[in-house]
This record gives sequence, structure tokens and C-alpha cells, in this order.
Amino acid sequence: MRRDYPLIIIVVAGLVSAALVSRWNDMHRQNLSARFAEEQFYLDGPALRRVTLAFNDVAADWYWMRSLQYVGRKIVAYRDAHEGRFDLSNLSSLDLHLLPDLLEICTTLDPKFLDAYYYGALILPDLNANDAVKLLNYGIAANPDQWRLYQHLGYVYWQQDDYQKASEIYGLGAQTKGAPPWMAAISARMKAEGGATAAAREMYVHLYEASDDLNVKEMVEKQLMRLDSLDERAKIRQLLSDYAKSTGRCAASWKEIAAALRAARVRLDSSGAPTDPSNTPYRLITGGCDVDLDKNSLVPH
Amino acid sequence: MSRPLADSVAAPQLDKAKLPIGGFARQRVAAIARNAFREAVRDRVLYNLVVFALLLIAGAIFLGELSGGQEAKILVDLGLSAILLFGVLIAIFVGVGLVYKELERRTLYAILSKPIGRGEFLLGKYLGLSLTLLVNVVVMGLGLSAAIVYVKRGWDPLVIHIWPAILLIYVELTILTAVAMLFSSFSSPALSALLSFFVFVIGHFNSDLKMLSQTSARTATSWIFAGLYYVLPNLMNYNAIAGAAHGISPTPISLFTAVAYGAIYVSVLLAGATLIFRRKNLK
Repeated sequence: MRRDYPLIIIVVAGLVSAALVSRWNDMHRQNLSARFAEEQFYLDGPALRRVTLAFNDVAADWYWMRSLQYVGRKIVAYRDAHEGRFDLSNLSSLDLHLLPDLLEICTTLDPKFLDAYYYGALILPDLNANDAVKLLNYGIAANPDQWRLYQHLGYVYWQQDDYQKASEIYGLGAQTKGAPPWMAAISARMKAEGGATAAAREMYVHLYEASDDLNVKEMVEKQLMRLDSLDERAKIRQLLSDYAKSTGRCAASWKEIAAALRAARVRLDSSGAPTDPSNTPYRLITGGCDVDLDKNSLVPH
Repeated sequence: MSRPLADSVAAPQLDKAKLPIGGFARQRVAAIARNAFREAVRDRVLYNLVVFALLLIAGAIFLGELSGGQEAKILVDLGLSAILLFGVLIAIFVGVGLVYKELERRTLYAILSKPIGRGEFLLGKYLGLSLTLLVNVVVMGLGLSAAIVYVKRGWDPLVIHIWPAILLIYVELTILTAVAMLFSSFSSPALSALLSFFVFVIGHFNSDLKMLSQTSARTATSWIFAGLYYVLPNLMNYNAIAGAAHGISPTPISLFTAVAYGAIYVSVLLAGATLIFRRKNLK
């Protein structure tokens, strides 16, 4: 036993020294991961599909989780830098330039991974609508019987104000097996009144009902709030204009048109200011002749 | 460390008095297969089931946090891929040692001195390892089914949809076992394992060989690629993991043809291995 002591001492001292050196290295190491984190991928989807052999589905799951974490990390970083404030409708501020590639690889490895397409349809239009269109077209080619992919693609075109194309895509989706009847109705409505808020509201309601994804539901709720707010602001703007015409000047405060607002069934807070769908008071602007959302409002601008 | 002869696998079971001299080859093959299975169990091959169980438990617990609502899909992908991976490792590393170990321990001489043909010996060994793989695959499949029930908080159709994929994985493993045995009939275990692994890799690139043969301008090259496509096992026939994870099962006809292709290919490989092994000088 006694002759083992030197060896035991070497083992213990060695482990302690290794831990100390490792700790020193961690403290003084240049953070290379941050520098290379945004690097483009070495392998594209088709190449990865080959090299992952029979394990491409696990690889697809890996890229799916990587996509979620990539967005999640960006949101956390944004919140840290902006006092915890972040809105899903403000995705363009996150610089998610790797996301299209991550989702493309994920869906190339597993072309039937529908949630990856839906996720892309939710986020990519804010970054680059062409990426969203490309991803959804790939998804439709791989899953031509999935009407919800057409619904999302139609929605992307609608966001780009391309109502003709949106109508066409909704029409194609309506022809797939199992598609709900309202897909054909939306197609016709897009063609006739694509830019109208009523058409948008109907589309969002269907998007909300068809989705199981909480993120999609939250996004749709926000968009419906935005549509409600647009209608309210149009109404308030009209009242402000009427007031200016009758008095020859703009309203100095909400109190001056409170009666008219009440008569028009606009929601008011205790101070008499009209409130938006997130219960934040609207802001009176341009010398009292116009209305806008407050900066603290949860309604997307 | 090699076992003493008395503890060896095949020799004590193959009592000459119990074995019929002519005819009943099936009994002789069955005796060798039983021993090969017992040897695998004794060699703790089934310990991989513990690793598999831990993997599934960890997957079931942690994936919910990371997968964005896709825990069942990811669990199925992970579970089926693990079944394939563990199976491939067992098929290759145990398969290449089946004959070699008997040679090294010299128990092969004791076996072949009895009225057992070399082909029967190979077939018995093959069936023994196939049985080991079957037990492995079925237990892992049951574990995966239980994990799905846990993740889904109750019954889910995925529990049914994974089994055709598991059957196809098993057939793929039986082909790889036969490949490993073919290589081990004429080369060292290390080289056999390497070659078998290459066959596994190329088997999953098989569709590329066909594409290369179709796009190749030169006739000779085109013929070579076409030849390789048909000679090498097409393991893409057995890749049903993606479908299973999305609740899609292969059609009965594609299942049947995949199993038939596997049976034919295994017969060819075992026949080839027997031809080589019969000519092998065991002195």
C-alpha cells in the first residue's frame, strides 16, 4: 500500500492541476463560438441527406431543435438588450439570417415534417418573403395533399399584397382532399377584395382555427387586434376630423370629443381616452388631428 | 480473455449421440443456433437494451422541453434510429466474430468432427445471431411503444405505426449479419467489420448508384454502376423511420417485397459464405 502513495498523489495532484489549467484556459480563451456562430453551413440539405444514411430523420429533428433554439436565443438576447420587451410581430429586428437555411436543411432531411413548414411560414415572411415562398413550395411539392400548406402560402402572398397569387393558391388548396369549404370562399374573396380588412379578418380567423400551434394562435390574435385597431383608428380619425371642421381647430385632449367617442361606441378608459384592443390608451398626435397607437401598446404597429 | 474449452458454447451441446447422422439437418442447425444465441446472451450482448432504455427515458423526459411540441415524432425517430444503430453494431461486430471465435478457441474442430456440415454450421450461427437480434429488436420496440404511451399520456396510433418500420429494420439487420458472415468467412474480424460497415454505408447510397448509371454518358461506366446497384444490397428499401414518425406505414406490398428481397439476398450471401468456408483450409 505504501508504495502506491506516490501514484495516488500523482493521480490526485494531476486531476487538480488539470482542473486548474482547464479553468485558466476557460477564463482566457478567445470566444470563437461567437465569431463562428453565424457562419454559413458547410453542407446543404441534399448533401446532409446523403451523409446521414438511414439516420436522416434524427438529423432533421436535430436541425428542428437547432432552429427553435436559434430563434429562442435571439429572442432572449433581444429581450436582454431591450428591457425584456419583445413582440412576435417584430421578428425582423432579430437578424435571423440562418433560419431559412436551418429550416431548408430540416425539411430536406424530412420532407414530411409539416410543423417545420408551418414554423417557417410564421417567421420567414418577416425576414424574407421569398424564403417563405420557397420553403412552402418545397413543402407543397413533397406533401401535395396538405391543404394547410396552401393556406400558409396564400397568407404569405397576401402579406405581400399579391392578392391575385394568394387567391390562386387558396384555390389550389381548396382542391386538395380534405380541404375545408372556406378555402374556396377565401380564394374568391381574395380576388374580389384582397386588401379589405374584412377579408383579412376572415383569413386570420380561419388561420387561428386551423392551427394547433400556440405561436400561430398568438400571432393571429395580435393581427386580429391590429385589424380591430385599424377600424377603431379610422372611426376616431373621422370623429377628430368632424370636430376640427365644426370648431375650426384640432382637439386639444380626448375629453373634447369624449361624447362623440361614446356615441360611436369606442371603448374609453377612466380618463376619457379611447383604448386600443390591448386596453392601452390611444395617442392624440399632430396637434390633436390624428390618432396613433401608444408606444406601450401590445397591438402590432 | 478466451474461455476454457469446457465452457465453450457449441461443443457441449452437440452431443454426437443426440445428433442424427443423416437427414435431420434442421435439428443440427437448430442446436447450433441455440448455442449461438446463448453465447450472445452470455457475452452480454443484450446489455445494450439497458443503454437503449436509458436513452428513451432521457429522450422522453428532456425532448418535451426542446422539441417545440414534436416530442412524439422525435422520440420515434430517436428510438427507431437507436434500434437500427445498436442492431447494426451487434450484427457487424458479433457477426464477424461468430466463426472466427470458434476457430481461435479451436472449438470449431470439435464441432466439425461431428456429423455437421460447414454450411449447417454457418447457417446455425447465422440463425442464432438473427434470433439474438430479434429479441433485441422486439424488446426495444416494446420499450419504444411504452415510451410513446408515456409521452402521449395514453394510447396513440404511433404505437402501431412503428412496428412495420421495426420489421424492416430487422430484415436490414439480418442482411447485414449475412454480409458480416460472408466477409468473415475469408478475412480477419477487423477487416470484415470494416467491409461490412462499408456495405451498410453503400447500401444507403444505392439510389445514387442507379442515378449515376442513368446519367453516365459512357456505356461501360453506366454498366458498372448499374451492376453495383443490383449486386450491392439496396438498404433504402428498409428506411421506413420517417414514415413511422409521421404515422405512415409502408403498404403491405412494399413490406412484402422488402422482406422477400431480404430473404433472397440473405440466401445468396449465406450460399456464398458456405462456398468460401467449405474451401477454407482449417489446418
